[in-house]
Amino acid sequence: MKTIDIFYQAEGLREIAHLEVGAEENFAALKETIGKKHDLGGETFIFLEDADEPADLKKAAHGPDMKGGLKVHVHHCRHVQVGVTFNGETVQHPFAPSATIARVKKWAAERKFGMSEDEAGEHVFQITGTHERPAPNIHIGSLVAHPHCRIAFDLVPDERVNGAPGGEA
Amino acid sequence: MASPDERALRADLARPAFRLGQVEGRWRLAGIAWPHVLIGVTAKDGQEYVLRLDCAGFPQTPPTGGPWDAERNTVLAADRWPRSKGGRVGAVFNPCWKGGTALYLPCDRESIAGHDNWRTEMPSKIWRPADGIVQYLELVHELLHSRDYAAPVRTAA
Repeated sequence: MKTIDIFYQAEGLREIAHLEVGAEENFAALKETIGKKHDLGGETFIFLEDADEPADLKKAAHGPDMKGGLKVHVHHCRHVQVGVTFNGETVQHPFAPSATIARVKKWAAERKFGMSEDEAGEHVFQITGTHERPAPNIHIGSLVAHPHCRIAFDLVPDERVNGAPGGEA
Repeated sequence: MASPDERALRADLARPAFRLGQVEGRWRLAGIAWPHVLIGVTAKDGQEYVLRLDCAGFPQTPPTGGPWDAERNTVLAADRWPRSKGGRVGAVFNPCWKGGTALYLPCDRESIAGHDNWRTEMPSKIWRPADGIVQYLELVHELLHSRDYAAPVRTAA
């Protein structure tokens, strides 16, 4: 039987997880499998990575760019309200839980705060009130739990490691 | 029989976060010669830099390592290291630091020694055993995709 690799993130899951499913499996079955495995009862949604809308449950679990696997997210929240603060200004927008840190940062840094792509690359998201800086491929849904479907980030310069100019500094 | 740290490292390399990085072409496992693991990390120009990471004591002890010439089995020649445009890539990729055997990163075992100030100045870059080797690789991959990255003076023949 032909199978596909599913790399997924989900509410309450601290790291990226993986499973293999049959190539004909639909999103409804995939959502159920992930939900059972991680005790996600009640009404949940399944999203392709960086998609705005939930996946069509009747359709086979495929995406536009499989690239060796399908990346999905399962969450109770339909949207996550994201706030980003930079230089004292805060912008807000609802994103799907499957939105990556990279995508949300691009939206905030380039579209809202007017940075160039290069400038944005020198800044990172830090969860407000913490030192935690999620990796670019982390889904924002994995950082929140229903019914608190919101999160706040500070857009901060990436720390630069100074020193060791010529050797044993 | 493999030691506990080797078993832990092999289990870490089987985790989805590492495998996804391979699937996406961000890095690839090039080999294991315990206590070293060779992992190629791809830069934004497609150039691959193989890191040789000493993982003795993994995961409680941070790894340490730097660019490696797998063909000659030695530290990569300085003119083949990634270059900087004057910013943070050059601070981390410094062939003179520890003879080129360690990257100047807070999550590197050799480099954190004597730099306790890093624990408060850049806590997000301090080694986190639970995150495993992907933490080190994410930092390197980000640098190799930053605006400060420049291709080496000389590329592989």
